[in-house]
Amino acid sequence: MSTDTRPRRSVTSALVSPPEPPAAKSADPPTPPPRPKSAGKLPFLLDFFPLETADQTRLHRFFERLGEGRLSTTRCRRDGELHWPPRTACPKCHLEELDWVDLPELGHLYAFSAVLAGAPLGMEADVPFAVGLVDLDGAPLRLFGRIEGRPWTELRIGQPVRVETYDIGDGRMFYRFRTVG
Amino acid sequence: MSGRSVAIVGGVTTKFGVRPSTWSELAQEVGAALFRAVPELRADEVDSLFVGAAEPERFAFQSHVAPLAAEQMGLTPTHILQRNELACASGQSAIRSAYAAIASGLSDVAVAVGLEKMNIPSMAEANSAMGCVMDRSWDGPHGATAPPFFAMVAQRHMLEYGTTEEQLAAVSEKNHRFANTNPTAQFHEKTFSRDKLLRLPIIAPPLRLGDCSSMTDGAAAVVLTSEEGARRFTDTPAWIRGSGQYSDFHNLANAGSLTEWTGLTRAAREALSGAGIGIHDLDLAEVHDCFSISEIVEYEALGLCAPGEGGRFAADGRGDLGGDLVVNPRGGLLGCGHPLGATGIAQAVEVFQQFSSAVPAARQVPDPEWALVHNLSGSANVHSVMVYQRGGAA
Repeated sequence: MSTDTRPRRSVTSALVSPPEPPAAKSADPPTPPPRPKSAGKLPFLLDFFPLETADQTRLHRFFERLGEGRLSTTRCRRDGELHWPPRTACPKCHLEELDWVDLPELGHLYAFSAVLAGAPLGMEADVPFAVGLVDLDGAPLRLFGRIEGRPWTELRIGQPVRVETYDIGDGRMFYRFRTVG
Repeated sequence: MSGRSVAIVGGVTTKFGVRPSTWSELAQEVGAALFRAVPELRADEVDSLFVGAAEPERFAFQSHVAPLAAEQMGLTPTHILQRNELACASGQSAIRSAYAAIASGLSDVAVAVGLEKMNIPSMAEANSAMGCVMDRSWDGPHGATAPPFFAMVAQRHMLEYGTTEEQLAAVSEKNHRFANTNPTAQFHEKTFSRDKLLRLPIIAPPLRLGDCSSMTDGAAAVVLTSEEGARRFTDTPAWIRGSGQYSDFHNLANAGSLTEWTGLTRAAREALSGAGIGIHDLDLAEVHDCFSISEIVEYEALGLCAPGEGGRFAADGRGDLGGDLVVNPRGGLLGCGHPLGATGIAQAVEVFQQFSSAVPAARQVPDPEWALVHNLSGSANVHSVMVYQRGGAA
């Protein structure tokens, strides 16, 4: 015998009942901007570059700020923890109220290598390309990224680099590093 | 450690290499090979199947692989059927789950199988598959795959400790030499002197081709039982005596020191203390030499030598037969190839076969009792360790 005493609603009444009123407050803007028409030269599931718009990611501000030439990340409003990559919840205290902060533009190579073979799809034409870990000057972060400006044979640990933002070719923005001096 | 004792009581490895076989055909092959290698095993007593498979969606466009593998292998599990995905450590993940299932009493006879099909017509697509093991949105767009990451580990190790290319080659030479004794190894018939290794093309500086494990097709499977069932299968069960696993980052920005693999130190300490032994009680170790530099850092993280001494440890043959501890007698990932899901299972098969004196004399460790198996995954951000003891009472 069923002990469920909750009132039953028919499927039909559920289908025709008035829509829920909009939520009083939403983290995302009500009308997301359309995705760039040219996005996705590669099939979506083979394209490493993320979808950047507000209909796809709550971190769209990161990419919008890249469009302004600013590399930024999130910082926890409660414990001050600086995150990388930017987040929607603090991993230490799990607070979801995070602030955007700009990161330093300059840094130094902590380690580097290069891809001379075995590049992923869409990056074959870039070979050889250098990658490295960059200690940002004045921030406790060590970011991984493409290193442009000099061939890998001329790079050294400690090499100064600068953050560079760029359009990947379809309106989406990303970041990389370029050697200084 | 509580629960029932659990042992590996049999196992088999298919030929590793560039195989003219599909994912499903590899599953059929390893199933058939398993029933030949373990004639006591009846299909209807296998109540659970754990399938170590890292990226079948990418390499074979196939999901829901656990029931597919069961069908290909002729198994109809009644208790637990699942896939284990932990990238390069998917195989050991499958064994760990089988271990937990049997120890808890949920399973009596389980098979852990690992398989990967990696050689596909487009190498660039295969490289993308390797790239999405990393944090795809943040590290992936820069072109992050395993070789440049482990190359940076090598670069820092060279900078901090003076490790040399010759020492890297010493690891690769040893493991390729062991692979010459292993017919299932991808490079069974190829010889690599240290001199030859140092002339191979650079893939990701300072790592050369011979410093890198390859893209490999292959499968391996083991049978696990509780103490009640083990004796029916073998006189030399490989008892699981300890297990440890540790992960503390994923995005490359959060790696911390590249040369100190504290996760491995912690996982090994957990596994060894569970077994009630120390590192110097081991008779052999199968460790994850996805790159030559990995084995050098692992010597140090395991406590076989001091930090910074790993290169010399390799060059002096202290991980070789006749050295301090025989490391990777199977031939390692460098010599056998690295079919992601199969590697962790194949390592355990080597331990079982070493314990039962079923390997060629050229790599047989004399009278081994204790063995450690280490799988790492991704950018060495997860370390999985198990410790085995031969025979004896449960």
